[in-house]
Amino acid sequence: MSTMSTATEYAVAALIVLGALFVLLGSIGLARLPDFLTRLHGPTKATTLGVGALLLASAIFFSTRPDRGVSLHELAILFFLFITAPVTAHLLAKAALHRQAKARDGEQRTTADREKARSAPESPLG
Amino acid sequence: MTDCRRPTASGKDRYNRASGALLDDPDNAFLDEACVNSSLLLAAIPATAFATFSLPLLVQRCGRAAATLAAATVMATCLALLLPLAPAAFAGHSEVARLAWLPGYGLDLSLRLDGLGLLFCLLILGIGLLVVLYAFYYLPTSDRLGRFYSILLLFMAAMLGIVLSENLLLLLIFWELTSVSSFLLVAYRSDKYESRIGARMALAVTGGGGLALFAGIVLLGHIAGSFELTVILAAGEQIRAHALYAPALILILIGAFTKSAQFPFHFWLPSAMAAPTPVSAYLHSATMVKAGVFLLARLYPALGSSDLWFWMVGGSGAMTLVYAAATALFRNDIKGLLAYSTISHLGLITLLFGLDTPLSVVAGIFHIINHAIFKASLFMAAGVIDHECGTRDMRRVNGMFRVMPITATLAIIAAGSMAGVPLLNGFLSKEMFFAETISYPQFEPLGWALPLFATIAGMLAVAYSSRFIHDVFFNGEPIDLPRQPHEPPRWMRAPIELLVLLCLLVGIFPGWTVGPLLAAAAGATLQAPLPDFHLALWHGFNKPLLMSTLALAGGVLIYALRRPLFAWQAHLPPLHPRTAFERFYRALAAGARRTLAVLDNGSLQRYSALLVSFIVLLGGWAFVSGPSADVRLPGQPADEAAVGALLVLLLGALGATALYRERLLAVILVSVVGLVVTLIFIRLSAPDLALTQLAVEMGTIILLLLVLYYLPPRSAPRSSARRLSRDLLLALLAGGGLGLVTLQMLASPFETMSGFYLQQSLPGGGGANVVNVILVDFRGFDTLGEITVLAMVGLAAHALLDRLVLLAPQHDADGRPWAAEAHPLFLSMLMRPLLPLSLTVSVYLFLRGHNVPGGGFVAGLITSVALVMQYLANGIAFAQPRMPRHAVRLLALGLFLAAGIGLTSWLFGRPFLTSAHGHVQLPLIGDLELASAMVFDLGVYVVVVTVVLTVLAGLGSLSLRARSQIEEV
Repeated sequence: MSTMSTATEYAVAALIVLGALFVLLGSIGLARLPDFLTRLHGPTKATTLGVGALLLASAIFFSTRPDRGVSLHELAILFFLFITAPVTAHLLAKAALHRQAKARDGEQRTTADREKARSAPESPLG
Repeated sequence: MTDCRRPTASGKDRYNRASGALLDDPDNAFLDEACVNSSLLLAAIPATAFATFSLPLLVQRCGRAAATLAAATVMATCLALLLPLAPAAFAGHSEVARLAWLPGYGLDLSLRLDGLGLLFCLLILGIGLLVVLYAFYYLPTSDRLGRFYSILLLFMAAMLGIVLSENLLLLLIFWELTSVSSFLLVAYRSDKYESRIGARMALAVTGGGGLALFAGIVLLGHIAGSFELTVILAAGEQIRAHALYAPALILILIGAFTKSAQFPFHFWLPSAMAAPTPVSAYLHSATMVKAGVFLLARLYPALGSSDLWFWMVGGSGAMTLVYAAATALFRNDIKGLLAYSTISHLGLITLLFGLDTPLSVVAGIFHIINHAIFKASLFMAAGVIDHECGTRDMRRVNGMFRVMPITATLAIIAAGSMAGVPLLNGFLSKEMFFAETISYPQFEPLGWALPLFATIAGMLAVAYSSRFIHDVFFNGEPIDLPRQPHEPPRWMRAPIELLVLLCLLVGIFPGWTVGPLLAAAAGATLQAPLPDFHLALWHGFNKPLLMSTLALAGGVLIYALRRPLFAWQAHLPPLHPRTAFERFYRALAAGARRTLAVLDNGSLQRYSALLVSFIVLLGGWAFVSGPSADVRLPGQPADEAAVGALLVLLLGALGATALYRERLLAVILVSVVGLVVTLIFIRLSAPDLALTQLAVEMGTIILLLLVLYYLPPRSAPRSSARRLSRDLLLALLAGGGLGLVTLQMLASPFETMSGFYLQQSLPGGGGANVVNVILVDFRGFDTLGEITVLAMVGLAAHALLDRLVLLAPQHDADGRPWAAEAHPLFLSMLMRPLLPLSLTVSVYLFLRGHNVPGGGFVAGLITSVALVMQYLANGIAFAQPRMPRHAVRLLALGLFLAAGIGLTSWLFGRPFLTSAHGHVQLPLIGDLELASAMVFDLGVYVVVVTVVLTVLAGLGSLSLRARSQIEEV
């Protein structure tokens, strides 16, 4: 730790605080927002950003340690996260629409009604 | 042949146990060589029989004659092997050949040939040859005979095994083999109901008796300290004095009595008459039913000479003798009459052994020979009549003497022998029997009872023999026969002619025909010097002759009075042990079915309840009976994080149980439990386990969701309060018990091997990751077994899912149809680039596995999850063609890799699964530590991927297949 330069220390600290803040915000959003679709924003947007910041902090921290090289694991995780988080959000939203989850202003149903008319798929994999 | 003994024959101790005195013999070098040769010869007899029994089946394509010739050749070869050994057996030697098989269980391949064995071998092979010739003519020309002769030869081999066994356990194996092969022979015409019932009954009774015999032999071996006959026969005094003598004797007698159809186990023999007549002539006169009396003779020196022996053997024999003779008189079926007569004669032999004097034993052996000869010929004659007339009913088959005078003459002579008419062999042994009953010492105050009994039995024998002769060959004209009878083919009659000739020869010149063989057999049976007996036709006017005369006259009188007797018999209450047994058997089968229906009713809940109850019982038993651990290690203090995690674990488990009707929610709660367990692993410094747990968790969730998809949309019905409390109790007991066991194990101090593994992992296994080195190297054999089991599971899943058609419901629990867009574009497009990334991760984990957390198992799980993701995102139609096919071959490949690398170490002279490792310098990547264990790990990887993919993709595609089938229709 002692070998880390002050600038890096600041950067890492800032990223950790920022990340933690976003994760906290996302969690509050998940708990407090009124309906499913708006609640979805919390974990998928804010938290993803927060975790991303934390990962960056980790990458910088371990890359600047003398006994190790550049730490790339975090980048891989970041990559996976940034691919999967929006896909998950997309699927959850679609499922919610399908289940006709009612928003507070109550203007859904249209998509679901349209889908109802079509035939069902063969299988969850099919 | 590791051991071979030949007792010296000298003076009084001629029929002696094998002794080691041979070693002091000055010229034992020569004897040793001869001994080895004869041991080989002895072993060659059953070996040849068993090696060649399927020969007729192989050559039957060349015709019936070829099959017959093959069967006869096998028998003749055995006979030829036997002949060089015969002189020694005649001289009273016991040839013993021994090859260690399972010495730890006292079971050796040890054979013994003495006089008794020789006699039975001659009967088995001699009559066997005649039966082979006879069957060629008897069985219909449409029968290709290969199957028949092969089973017959198998039976013959088993019989030879029985009579040549030195080890009683070996004898038992052959004994059961005769039961099985005789079942096949009796059921030979399996399209007939009676054949099947008869065969089943014979198997049930003789097989059940075989089990009793097994128990008896084990007891006997326990008493004598060995299963070798040489030891047992020498330990008679010790055996009779032992506390377990009575149970051992009773069990062995049950075995012998069931086989020899002695009262009260006699009823299977008449049912077994559904067998083709050659089989009856072979099994039910000369060989199989004689196995029981053979056992009595064989074990006589060890078990005989006690009151219990006298009452049980003599009592059962006497009962059978008279009861069966009386029943035989009233049978209308020729073979039925002969069957009961056989039972009666076997009773006579049993009674003779039961009388328990040296002379009665000699008479018993003599009657074994005589009965085999005349009864085989009678069965063959009955077969000829059946063959020619198409029926065996004596009320319809009459006046055959005019139709087939030669066969009739032969049958009449044989029947005369059965009745005990002078000049025939049956007369001689019956005389000996009468003489024995007169001189029997034990019945002083009632000295007349036994002779009277014997005379009555003799009368009945004469009566049923008269009925056989008179009804079949005379007594007017045949009534309504299905066929026009005439003399049988020349060579079909030949076996009967030969046997009847033997009847006459033995009857007239007993001394020089059967004398030496009888002496050798009786000597070997008694294991003592022979009593003074004289085989001759004429002993002068004495009491036995008087009894014979009375029996002949009385028998003819009984037959003359047959009409009132038959009328009287018709009014008797019917006594049907056969139907009673059949009823018992059916009740047993129905009971078994009911029990099975209770246990195996298709309810998974019930299976689980039974299984868990059983485990609880076992665990409880071990807990109560095991030693208690007094020393307790101090527990670790729990911190807030651990308590929190455990609370979440508890809530997850409780929630999943409580919300089981909300399936999706329950699955999510189950996954919570899995995740907490993963976290616990990480906290307790088990990154390998955590990684594996995480990957397993992913697979499990996908699997559960797939299964949920097929469940009916309505939620599970509520269980009754009773069932809930049962399940609660079971769960508490099992869970609590498991918790206690874990606590007990963790809190007791014990030496672990961890230190060794930690120390040896890098130098010995070439890897720094101890967990992986243990899996693929130290305990590689375990892992090989585990992946084999895994492969079996995959194979089973493949087999189960392959043809299963299961239609998933069209909508979810709330009645909503599934979403129209099954594969959202966003998902499918983004999952494709994810595949190579995931595969990279899994390759990375695989390669580093030997040194840091990872390895084939985790890598395999990650690969399969990545592949399943492609199914989920893009659908089966996209994914299936792009996946490797032939799951079975892949499983084989995985196992081959794992086992193959293990075998490779043999090439270098090392034990199975020895690991080799070394450093390799690769450009770009650098220093790489390679171990042969990596190939093993690759095998693990392949198996895991294949199994997971097979199960998940198989489940996923069920509905697709169902739908496409519906569309086709």
